[in-house]
Amino acid sequence: MKPKVLVLKADGTNRDAEMAYAFKAAGGDPEVVHVNLLRSGQRKMKDYQVLALPGGFAYGDDIVSGKILAIELTAFLGNGMRQFIERKDTVILGVCNGFQVLVRTGLLPFRKVGEMDVTLTNNDSGHFECRWIKVKLNEKNNSPFFAGLDNQIIWLPVAHGEGKFLTDEKTLKKVEENNLVAFRYVNEKGQPTQKYPDNPNGALNAIVGITDTTGRILGMMPHPECFVRIEQHPNWRRGSVEKPQGLPLFENIVRFVKEAKW
Amino acid sequence: MIQKVRVQTSGQQNIKVYRLEGISEKEAKILAEKLLAEKINQKYSINQPITHLGGVKAHPPGGLGGVTTVEISYKPGVMNPEVASIMKAASDLGIKLLAADTSVEYTNNTPIFNPLTEHIVTEEPKTLILEGKTGKTKIIPIRNCSDEELMELSKDKLFLNLEEMRTIQKYFQKMEKDPTDLELETLAQTWSEHSGHKTFKAGLIVDGKKKEPLIKRIKKEALKHNKNIVSAFDDNSGVMDFYDGFAICGKVETHNAPSAIEPYGGAMTGSGGVFRDIAGTGKGAKNIASTDIFCFAPLDLKDKDLPAGCLPPKYLLKRVVEGVRDYGNRMGIPTNNGSVHFHQNFRARPSVIVGAYGILPKKYAKKDKPEKGDLIIVVGGRTGRDGIHGATFSSGEMTDKTKEVNASAVQIGNAIEEKRMFDALLEARDEGLIRLIQDVGGGGFSSAVGEIGEELGVSVDMSKAPLKYHGLAPWEIWVSESQERMVVVLERKNLKAFELICKKYNVEYALLGEFDDSKKLKVTFNNKVVCDLDMEFLHHGLPKKILIAKNIKSHPERAKRVEGSVPKNEKEWIKEINKIVSDGNVCSKEPIVRMYDHSVQGTNDLQPFSGVSLDGPNDSPVLRPFLDKKYGVVISHGLNPSFNNIDPYWGSIWAGAEALSNFVAVGGDYKNASLINNYICPFPDEETIWATDQMVDAVVDLMKAFKIPVISGKDSLSSTYRGSDGTIIKIPPTLCMSVFGKIPDASKTVTADFKKTGSTIVLVGKVDNKNVVPKVDLKLLPKTFEAIYQGIQKNKILSCHDVSEGGVITAIFEMCVGGNMGVVIDTWEVSKPTSQVESLFNETAGTFIVEVKDEQVAKQLFSKMPFKILGKTQEEAMINLDKLFNVAVRDLKKTWQKPMRRLFHET
Repeated sequence: MKPKVLVLKADGTNRDAEMAYAFKAAGGDPEVVHVNLLRSGQRKMKDYQVLALPGGFAYGDDIVSGKILAIELTAFLGNGMRQFIERKDTVILGVCNGFQVLVRTGLLPFRKVGEMDVTLTNNDSGHFECRWIKVKLNEKNNSPFFAGLDNQIIWLPVAHGEGKFLTDEKTLKKVEENNLVAFRYVNEKGQPTQKYPDNPNGALNAIVGITDTTGRILGMMPHPECFVRIEQHPNWRRGSVEKPQGLPLFENIVRFVKEAKW
Repeated sequence: MIQKVRVQTSGQQNIKVYRLEGISEKEAKILAEKLLAEKINQKYSINQPITHLGGVKAHPPGGLGGVTTVEISYKPGVMNPEVASIMKAASDLGIKLLAADTSVEYTNNTPIFNPLTEHIVTEEPKTLILEGKTGKTKIIPIRNCSDEELMELSKDKLFLNLEEMRTIQKYFQKMEKDPTDLELETLAQTWSEHSGHKTFKAGLIVDGKKKEPLIKRIKKEALKHNKNIVSAFDDNSGVMDFYDGFAICGKVETHNAPSAIEPYGGAMTGSGGVFRDIAGTGKGAKNIASTDIFCFAPLDLKDKDLPAGCLPPKYLLKRVVEGVRDYGNRMGIPTNNGSVHFHQNFRARPSVIVGAYGILPKKYAKKDKPEKGDLIIVVGGRTGRDGIHGATFSSGEMTDKTKEVNASAVQIGNAIEEKRMFDALLEARDEGLIRLIQDVGGGGFSSAVGEIGEELGVSVDMSKAPLKYHGLAPWEIWVSESQERMVVVLERKNLKAFELICKKYNVEYALLGEFDDSKKLKVTFNNKVVCDLDMEFLHHGLPKKILIAKNIKSHPERAKRVEGSVPKNEKEWIKEINKIVSDGNVCSKEPIVRMYDHSVQGTNDLQPFSGVSLDGPNDSPVLRPFLDKKYGVVISHGLNPSFNNIDPYWGSIWAGAEALSNFVAVGGDYKNASLINNYICPFPDEETIWATDQMVDAVVDLMKAFKIPVISGKDSLSSTYRGSDGTIIKIPPTLCMSVFGKIPDASKTVTADFKKTGSTIVLVGKVDNKNVVPKVDLKLLPKTFEAIYQGIQKNKILSCHDVSEGGVITAIFEMCVGGNMGVVIDTWEVSKPTSQVESLFNETAGTFIVEVKDEQVAKQLFSKMPFKILGKTQEEAMINLDKLFNVAVRDLKKTWQKPMRRLFHET
């Protein structure tokens, strides 16, 4: 049976269709579900194995990005979320706006619903950036989602205005020591970089995305769901890339939840 | 009681202010900590000044201690999109707010703000709840008015001429009543140039010769080429056939008048409006692309040359880009095509041209005819005083008083309102609930309801419309152009199901009324009749015009090219080329494109920029609207205000050829393309009508030459400025031609970046060196297009770029940028110095620079048309023109990227 994926939609979510397509292409069974259906009980988190939070501007990103949806999730669905992450066969993926929501719910990095330890704030450039960037896997991260992604420069598109990973020194140290960093922005030599535009937002330690300690909750700014076909890369005609580098992540997630036991 | 929470983000001087009404200070503290401020990088205070992060001394408001603060907020009544989110989140946290507002406190500097929508807060508001009494409907006694009195009534408000005012007077004399203000407003906006297209429908006498109305000539030719037409001219966008039972549609609009006085809001509402045109096509289409084309005065315009009451071009460009960015990105519609053009005569009125493209199942591509008893429902945003008189205002000329008098014509957009409405409407469409759907745009309900009810007659109750605040008179509700609203027509039995969908998506809706068979437009307000007009008079009572058009031969802008400017040596050549690539019309627009989300929806198979450093520009985007199918949509456009100003016929031919060349250069098949034409002109005087007539002749000739139809378009004939000192500024009469079409396989397309070293570079097509506005050979061009298309289909063309502004040398240079390589051009004509200049800088549309493997391939592909082997690509990134110059691509690139980088503060 194909694992069921809940692609969460709220007012202003706009990358739900791509997210659903990526999971479908990877062998999952995605369903786009409006948050109101979770609130009303017409859909239940326990019926799914993957919760995917796609990109967009949930509730206009008012106050700060992802804030209003994060409050809605913690206030109304906090218990459901806690039960969901306590299962051993579940995954939460937040991309771009979804990542912003995850850090504001407190699920990332330390799985503390309602307590926020890191933030994603305004890009150093001061505005929205839409471009393809290069990232590299932090090979010390033990998440089960990264098989086949090591030892290479991975191209992905970013499209955000508030993607700068920021926290205090102590927390940053804890994030690094626990190897929670998933990917870093790199230059053409594959080295982590703080330089614009290779690092499109000025993220501390060039952090692209992070996981929790179990590796089953992943948040990242770039859009792997928008690189699941080779033709999505701007230079596929030059032969710059051999295969769609976002797809393996979804295949790994689907494989993981298929094999995982509750 | 209002609680005032201030929030400051580390590294920022400005302080965000939240006013929260109806809660205790304790509750405000909960909201501050859980919602408004994040302790990692933000600090807050409640009902007291904030201390700077990092221990800088505190300061009281108003300026004691040497620190001054200025608070800027939206004016009361202007919609602040953030408020709804604050109310929602507070409620989710269990705190019930009565009202809220946000503003920004600036320290030690007063920012530029727009006095039309914002103000400096000088005293604490006692309440944030707007009160007001519903205005009354007035009877306007016009039956006995003199001509002068009729015109006084029309001026600055109705924008109708004397003949039209007299026709209205006669109608009411016949009806034996005086009109209400609402009835007059309805007529004024239905008959406005904006909605009525009076010039395009009028009979013409051009230089003494009678000619058919412009719109008739366009339609007549278009409908001859109907192979792909699903619907043309009679819906909110033009619809053409796609694959597998689907259709694609396109619409291009101008939004000049609002953008001239409030560029940010103007660009937002322009985008929002054209997206609703797509969403309001048939029974609803999904938006898949957005395009933005701007015309401004040159950015180095001196302050003294800026007409009174006008905004500087730098400010306009920046704010318009921000408006497009903030609306389009939030909508999740990729903005992936556009251009910026500069001409002195846009200094009073800029042009902001916004386009949108969509996809829908063919079975939903046409509107059903409404039946008696069908319901009329408004969905989406609430109605406020914003945008009143937008349609009539944009039909009038601009004066230096325009900014003051027409403040209410300014609207602010709220993209999320529109986004959730579209989500709900597409679901309702797919459930089969919708009979038809109509955008509420120019003219508000008056236009939307008036149009859908034309054949049957309708009765609506305006007191049912959800309002932003009290205090609007019925006529204001009726003509308000508040954003993000659409009208949906349903069978009564579908109402329940429709309501459920709206609730799921948090979309507000209200039942306004229903269709009857009265053939009348009947509007009530709390059971009182405020409008009772015959549909026949409303839609067909407008007097038909005969317009005179004259060619003013002494037009000042002719033969501008300076003679004798042939560069003498390498240094001069390089200087000249640097000048060209740094020109506003030619320079790289990458910083703009990077602020637009062009990757959302994941459909972009050919992106705005590609190449080694992802900075080589491409001619058109290629989209794959179904992620799991290969079918492609190609979108492009072309315009040249400068050429059109000199010669409106050949300038428009150039625009059409340029648009199609962009389309073909990436692999588009012109035989499966549709055209959209936009006429952006000064106020229709005799000279402008002559120019417009020339432009229409050109458009008809383009359709004939390529055997493809125009299926949508719009005229915007109002861009004349009259200063109180007698200054008159007319924009160049500009034709913007947009093209969209289908190809069976999106991967059979090419980008413009040079791919390989040692390839052969070919100039394909017939170059016109003789005329200031190059004349395009329309007989030859279809053959050239077909050859390029076939070459790309057969993988024989490695890269291709069309020649346009900046000429042949610019096209070659941009291909070098993308490929990060150079060229050696060794067979250039050296016979005559002038012909070198003309050939190198030639801007004939419909010519291409093509990269192929070798000469043999070029000879095979282009046997039936003129072509010239220019040389070869080389690894060294130098443009080497034998005997003339050798210049580094890197140096030119710097010059080419500098203007927009500097403007948008990139280093």
